[in-house]
Amino acid sequence: MNPWNRFIICILAVSGSTLHAQIALNVNAIPRQVEVIMDGISIGETPIRNQQIIPGPHNFEIIKDGYAPLTYSLIVNPAKAVNLDFYLNPIYKIKFTTEEEGLTFELNKNHQWSDKKIRLELEAGEHILSVYKKDKVVDEQTILVDEPKQFKYFFKKKLSD
Amino acid sequence: MVVILLSIFAGGCSMFIIRSYPEVIYNDRQPLISVTYDYGEIEVHLPLVYPRYRPEQIAFQVYSGGDTTFPLISVMQGPLDEIVLFLPHGVLDVEDSTNLIKIMPQDYDFRNFYVPFKGIGAGRIDLPVNAIDFKPLIVQGVVTLAQNDSTLSGVALSVQVFPATLARTKSDENGIFEMGIPGEFMKSPNIELIAGSNLIFKPFRQKLDYSNTKGIYQDVRIGPSKTLEGPIYLTNKKYVHFRENPDVGSDTKFLLDKGESVAVKRMTRGEYFGDIEVLLQDGKLVVFDGWVVKEDLTLMQLENIFSKESNHEPVE
Repeated sequence: MNPWNRFIICILAVSGSTLHAQIALNVNAIPRQVEVIMDGISIGETPIRNQQIIPGPHNFEIIKDGYAPLTYSLIVNPAKAVNLDFYLNPIYKIKFTTEEEGLTFELNKNHQWSDKKIRLELEAGEHILSVYKKDKVVDEQTILVDEPKQFKYFFKKKLSD
Repeated sequence: MVVILLSIFAGGCSMFIIRSYPEVIYNDRQPLISVTYDYGEIEVHLPLVYPRYRPEQIAFQVYSGGDTTFPLISVMQGPLDEIVLFLPHGVLDVEDSTNLIKIMPQDYDFRNFYVPFKGIGAGRIDLPVNAIDFKPLIVQGVVTLAQNDSTLSGVALSVQVFPATLARTKSDENGIFEMGIPGEFMKSPNIELIAGSNLIFKPFRQKLDYSNTKGIYQDVRIGPSKTLEGPIYLTNKKYVHFRENPDVGSDTKFLLDKGESVAVKRMTRGEYFGDIEVLLQDGKLVVFDGWVVKEDLTLMQLENIFSKESNHEPVE
């Protein structure tokens, strides 16, 4: 393709894209001042006002230290404006301790340790704690994490034991 | 006490350091996300002009995508210079000019009409100026040759309010014609339909009365009627004397116009005796007999009834 034809095609492509109706994008987040990445490009920190986008699929990523990263895909409908509000999940520091001997702990079927004292960083919300002794599950609990705290584990023997 | 201090010293600070788990533990809790849309309004501006009179009220209906069954909105208001209509976001066709505003002045004398336009998602639309005017006055009918009822194509027709010609046309291949004139003439008593000015016959003239209607169906029967018997002659000039007797000095009953039909019954060397038809004001045809100078008449040739001055067109 000769350069002139390529230039014309580029012009047409650009003018074609401008035919799409522009939509004002407003983004708020809790906490404030988090960076928003739309379709792989940073569009600034919240609050974001009147960022012009076109209708169609868009991918949003929000990353902030101390909070669980968030990704969100949205097909934006034709409208005057679209408003997005994100509430990020905080990550709390938890000090886990136990006096029990010979136990292995596992959170959410994925993260294991055998230390009697350990510092954990947990996303806010519920986590499932499984307790093993000699590769056998001896206890299972749901931990609710809603603030930084110290969690002391006691082995609860079953009545039958 | 000493033992404790010694053991701390021996163990160093490491006995207070607690290991940290190497990664953040997520629970994959669904984050709270709120998505809301603002749908802006569509603001349609339609300027109006009133060339003659303003109706008391005007109704407006907006249709989308060519669907004239269910209006998006119906509004009734006074005769303002600009109508502003507000529509919700996204209700109009934004691809083509298939959206319509129907304008209906609440007065029988005014015309209803549609304004097509292309929509937008949201924002302001400025439409061109439209005139709120009277309905046109219509006259339509079929042109036939009175002698044999055959339809005539190419016959010149016009509507006149002396001295102005308001509309002109020619009958189509089926003899059908239709003309529209501005509605402002609806009260005029002098509107006249004239047909056949390009024929050899005397033109057909008929008053049109639009005082109670916007449309008139008026058939045009042109040329001599079937009731005239014998060879038909046509007057070949204006002001032809139609006399009571052939002798000089006889009373003139009528002065005939060019193209008038005379059914000749008797002939002398210099004069023809025959019948003419006179159309009375009540629409009745009355037959009179009398004498016409031979030189003032020409035998009618039905093969070509178009006058020499006009373009010759075939008779159907």
